[in-house]
Amino acid sequence: MAFAMALSAGVVGVPSTAHGQTTAGQNADVAPEAPRISPAVGPASAAGLAPAAGLAPAAGGIPAAGVTPAVAQAAPPRPPGIRWEHAVRQISSGKWTGPRLPDGQPDIQGDWSNTIANQNNWTDPQGGIPGDPTTRSHHPGARGDRAPSRVSDPADGQVPFQDWARSRQQEFLAHLFNPIRPEYVEPFARCAPGGVPKSFTWHGYEIRQFPGYVVFLFGSGTRIIHLDGKPHLPDKIKLWNGDSRGHWEGNTLVVNVSNNNGKARFARTGEFASEHVEIEERYIFDNDRKHYNYQATITDPTVYTRPWTATIPARRYTVDDAPDDWHYEVPLANVPGKDRIPDHFERTCVENNGGFGRVAVPPAAANSAK
Amino acid sequence: MLSSNSLGRPLGRLVTMLAGYLLISAVAAPGAGAAGAKIPRLANGKPDFSGIWQTTSAADYDLEPHSTRQDAPPGAGVVTGNSIPYLPQALEQKKRNFDARQSADPRLKCWTLGTPRGIYYPEPFQIFQRGQDVTLVFEFGHSVRTINTNGTLHPTEENANEFWLGDSRGHWEGDTLVVDVTDFNDETWLDRAGNFHSEALHVVEKWTYLDSNTIDYQARLEDPKVFSRPWDIEVLLYRHREKNFQLIENYCFTLDFDKYYPVPSADNR
Repeated sequence: MAFAMALSAGVVGVPSTAHGQTTAGQNADVAPEAPRISPAVGPASAAGLAPAAGLAPAAGGIPAAGVTPAVAQAAPPRPPGIRWEHAVRQISSGKWTGPRLPDGQPDIQGDWSNTIANQNNWTDPQGGIPGDPTTRSHHPGARGDRAPSRVSDPADGQVPFQDWARSRQQEFLAHLFNPIRPEYVEPFARCAPGGVPKSFTWHGYEIRQFPGYVVFLFGSGTRIIHLDGKPHLPDKIKLWNGDSRGHWEGNTLVVNVSNNNGKARFARTGEFASEHVEIEERYIFDNDRKHYNYQATITDPTVYTRPWTATIPARRYTVDDAPDDWHYEVPLANVPGKDRIPDHFERTCVENNGGFGRVAVPPAAANSAK
Repeated sequence: MLSSNSLGRPLGRLVTMLAGYLLISAVAAPGAGAAGAKIPRLANGKPDFSGIWQTTSAADYDLEPHSTRQDAPPGAGVVTGNSIPYLPQALEQKKRNFDARQSADPRLKCWTLGTPRGIYYPEPFQIFQRGQDVTLVFEFGHSVRTINTNGTLHPTEENANEFWLGDSRGHWEGDTLVVDVTDFNDETWLDRAGNFHSEALHVVEKWTYLDSNTIDYQARLEDPKVFSRPWDIEVLLYRHREKNFQLIENYCFTLDFDKYYPVPSADNR
């Protein structure tokens, strides 16, 4: 039995097959209906020949990520949980009345995922990818029937790009389905970390808390939020997920993210920042312990005409939710007795990204990595 | 104690207190006992390994004793008895791996190093610890390993998988964390010298504080497809105590394609 996670995503229009094995495109808006299929992880994958596996929701033709257990099994029933909410619930910053950890932090540990959509489209999250020739990623209905833009400020829902940056974003989007140059392949499709803030729109993730830290475990990378007030890393160091310093204000985790490398795209629609970006995050947790809103104020005078704010709503998942291969990829642990304890698979990507690796990272290049 | 005595307490009482203290220490730390009561502990009384750790050994260059060579400093090895007991055919494979090590080592692709290699790879890793688990974040590749200490068992046979890091279930024997690791794939190497294993690898780790800044890490490796008998390694892990030391994410596999993604600016094309 092989364990395979194919986080990858995104070489749209590029055959993501190897040796005749196809990766079926899935409608981005529905839970997977097909059995999960995983290739054997063996010499083939070591040579970069195994296709990406795990038929989780994805954009057209894109195998999605996920921590996919390899055992082929019948498709689980579609889970009843919130899948595509159309509105963002209001959660105010204020007091935390829920339980606390021994070090005083609000206890918000557990499994979480966004309630709106994946990273197909930044400003029309449920609108599909503009130009998707398959229309598989498209969501029916009028704009007003779909979730609002993730840009909550300015009010027009658009990223306030400078002209050159807007044209660069449009250029990327125009080539997403025809990536005639390597830079039109989203780095995320090559298993680069999603970066800030995109990671919050791609699959469920886990939050663990420790004295002095909040740790985010994403399918594509890890963020360690330091709560101890130490200074940021020297400015010369640039990172996919940046360098995070945080503190709690009541029910709100406030995090400053610097040292960003500016290489990740916020979505398949190509929005971006540069390495000069500073991000102020506010994770506002509802005292019902079931929801939080992520709000990030994004400032980069070299790319935007003004600071802007992104909002991404999220909800908690527990063992009472059915695993769905996307938001909640958490099996029950093998435990004596009747306890139901969530387990978590290891999170890997590049190792199992064979189908894409063959396209995105030529083996010769892979071998000269270090 | 001296100050207690100087306060005029009877010497006999001091000796009794001291004896009692030593007795408690001995009971609490049967393993490498020297650490005694001074090691960090969680609220549940178990040793708290939280911190950033790294070996100074040459284990990752070659687990076995080796002279200096172009791609490795010399090392006395970390294998008990010096030699890894390969089965004959496996030894031939190891030799082929060694010859091809400059291109075939999975580390060159920045792939997850596996268990136990991640522990003695010469880059820091951070331990975060709760009662129910131990989280290890490795700077190299920024991979994450969870050791479950919540009484859960390895997945059942029907739910078995093959993991890069294996499936880790730990329990406490005194102040030693004993971790049973199974469900491996056969993709990882044990070091840069081409020492390897199959998917049948079974690792039992023992983590014990020597003192509050040093962990004695021992692992027994068993793989009936590759080795003729179980064998043991032992390395020491040292706590990083530099001011403001932290992990710096090292997603080194992105270096392959980094050149395609210049930092966006109005000036570059």
